[in-house]
Amino acid sequence: MTVMLEARNLKKTFTLHNQQGVVLDVLEGVDFDLSSGEMVVLKGPSGTGKSTLLRILYGNYRPVAGSVRIWHEGKMVDIVGARASLVLDIRRKTVSFVSQFLRVIPRISTLAIVMDPMLSRGIQEKDARDRAAEMLKQLRLPERLWGLAPTTFSGGEQQRVNIARSFVAPTPLMLLDEPTASLDAENRDIVVNLIESTRKAGAAIAGIFHDETVSDRIATRSISL
Amino acid sequence: MKDEALLTATNVTRTFGGRGGCRDISLALWPGEVLGIVGESGSGKTTLLRTLAGFDRPDSGHITFHLAGKPIDLYGMDEASRRALMRTEWGMVHQNPRDGLRLDVSAGANIGESLMAKGERHYGHIRKSACDWLARVEIDPARIDDNPKSFSGGMQQRLQIARVLVARPRLVLMDEPTGGLDVSVQARLLDLLRVLVRDLGIAAIVVTHDLAVARLLTDRLIVMKNSEIIEEGLTDQVLDDPHHAYTQLLTSSVLSV
Amino acid sequence: MTSRHDPNYNYAYLDETTKRMIRRALLKAIAIPGYQVPFASREMPLARGWGTGGIQITAAIIGPEDILKVIDQGADDTTNAISIRRFFSRVTGVTETANTREASIIQTRHRIPEEPLQEGQILVYQVPLPEPLRKLVPSEQETRKMHAWAEYGPIYVRLYEDISHCGHVTSTYSHPVLVNDRYLTCPTPIPKFDNPKMDMSPALQLFGAGREKRIYAIPPYTKVKSLDFEDHPFEVQHWDEPCSLCGSNTSYLDEVIINDAGERLFVCSDSHYCETRRAEGHSGSQLEKAKAIHLTETPT
Repeated sequence: MTVMLEARNLKKTFTLHNQQGVVLDVLEGVDFDLSSGEMVVLKGPSGTGKSTLLRILYGNYRPVAGSVRIWHEGKMVDIVGARASLVLDIRRKTVSFVSQFLRVIPRISTLAIVMDPMLSRGIQEKDARDRAAEMLKQLRLPERLWGLAPTTFSGGEQQRVNIARSFVAPTPLMLLDEPTASLDAENRDIVVNLIESTRKAGAAIAGIFHDETVSDRIATRSISL
Repeated sequence: MKDEALLTATNVTRTFGGRGGCRDISLALWPGEVLGIVGESGSGKTTLLRTLAGFDRPDSGHITFHLAGKPIDLYGMDEASRRALMRTEWGMVHQNPRDGLRLDVSAGANIGESLMAKGERHYGHIRKSACDWLARVEIDPARIDDNPKSFSGGMQQRLQIARVLVARPRLVLMDEPTGGLDVSVQARLLDLLRVLVRDLGIAAIVVTHDLAVARLLTDRLIVMKNSEIIEEGLTDQVLDDPHHAYTQLLTSSVLSV
Repeated sequence: MTSRHDPNYNYAYLDETTKRMIRRALLKAIAIPGYQVPFASREMPLARGWGTGGIQITAAIIGPEDILKVIDQGADDTTNAISIRRFFSRVTGVTETANTREASIIQTRHRIPEEPLQEGQILVYQVPLPEPLRKLVPSEQETRKMHAWAEYGPIYVRLYEDISHCGHVTSTYSHPVLVNDRYLTCPTPIPKFDNPKMDMSPALQLFGAGREKRIYAIPPYTKVKSLDFEDHPFEVQHWDEPCSLCGSNTSYLDEVIINDAGERLFVCSDSHYCETRRAEGHSGSQLEKAKAIHLTETPT
């Protein structure tokens, strides 16, 4: 089991300058490790900073103090304060973030959305297309939707596109923020199996699941914040 | 990551009688990156862009372009060399397409001009390139001989983009590329830009006051206020976790549909 | 040798310091073939737009031993050509001629004589607009920079436009040329038929724009290339029939409408060339008809 991520002493506060300078202390002195083959679930009531922690690990939020070291191309790299192009490269090759909503860009078809990360990584178009189609089939998205932009899809359909995009060519590290929230039971099961098999293939995964049955099923470890 | 920056600005100041413009700006751009500069009108972003593009000499500071491993001081070189660079290595997409096009010649000539300026002397090749590029920016190639005056605003803007990109610049500078266009037209244009930037692997600097454009197009973001940079970082980080009061104000002011 | 010029004027009308100024400009122009040299264009006794630039150059170089020919669109006998000759006759008393071969100085508006020029001859062109880029680039500052750094891409845009709209380059006159592989130059509104005559000419070619205050020059035996594309090479005009008067099929022809029924003849633009050929015995198919309507007479 390789340690893929090592976060130390994370501190995060939000200062809301335009709301009387209110300061929210969300995280203090948090350490977090993640190794390949793990599925670590973050638990705790809302507002305790689970989502904040995930976002810090992705470089989306900037911690006030602490470090986040990630195994990237043969060595441990601290993304806190790192050069933007480095973080972008890490996101392209090493870490993915799966949110609970699909960010919809107008006019891009479902298939193109799912193919996009593969193309960015230099995978051939034909290959990318085949794998995307396979994944969409697995998630039971009907073929007639593949050529359409997801703007008009239901929440559940959009989320499945989101999942497809992230799991069709998984990265060594994956961070999941309520990925099954908008899915019905049947689709949730499919996604859960997908997460399971990705973990078994060696990915290091951390996630937040509001549904305890899901987290209990797939977690190899839990952490409460 | 051993590659070096394509463009670096160090302590660049360009003011107008000591006021306005941009002050003490330092930034760097790497190949393949899209850098956004956001700020409200009067923040100095256009001045900064023009200075980076070689149009406006700064009062102080340096702008260095890295070509084939050699650093080149943009304003340290003679005007002839700078002009040559501006034609070959980078291109500027103006906010108003009329500023970036020749309205009295055909669409094909507009695109072909970059090639002719670089020494292309085969009419057939020029025309073919122009056709290819019209298709790429989603203008019907049958309109190659039409005058851009007959094009809609969105089409003119796409023609301008083709005219800039045909010369295969390494860097594209864009000043409010979707400003003044209808929302649906904006979406189409942004999409096109996103794909072109990705496919051609070019670096770009996009000046905009529209955060949605920044979110869609850019990898990194610089926020300007009163001629200075007040915040910078990855686009998603600046927009989702703004630290500076002004940035927080900007992001919270955006209406969502 | 006493000159027969009008004593109320200085020889050749211009004062000596002005002539010196113009000659300096000419020397500079000859040293930099095709480059436009600014000069202090003088007020002449005729309005701008009537050849003041050409006249100033001729006035600066002419001497008692010169033989002057003046043509306007190829003809020696138009009003303007006659007026200019009369002017020089009055202020210099030089010998005048219509014979291209005899002349030492030929001042021309918008044509090059058909008769090939020789070493020692000087062709002085009248220039309306010296800047070949003006229509594309309105700013003088900008065009000066373009010439300085040989940034000539935009001129090809004009050629491209012609080909794309008409299938071929439609410029029939003022077709831009590259002189000595360096400067883009306006050949003046001569028909492009005449452009090849500029290339490697044994004569000295001088250009004067009075209103625009520019002088430029092409020294003898200088390369002059008309702009074109690799796949659309430069071509000159062709006519389906020869000159109606002298039968020449190698000269530039003017179209002359001879009556209200719209009948037309094609006639050599270079009047002296045509006369010479007729004097040598050549005749065109319509010569008798032309004589009947007095087309071949030279006004006195």
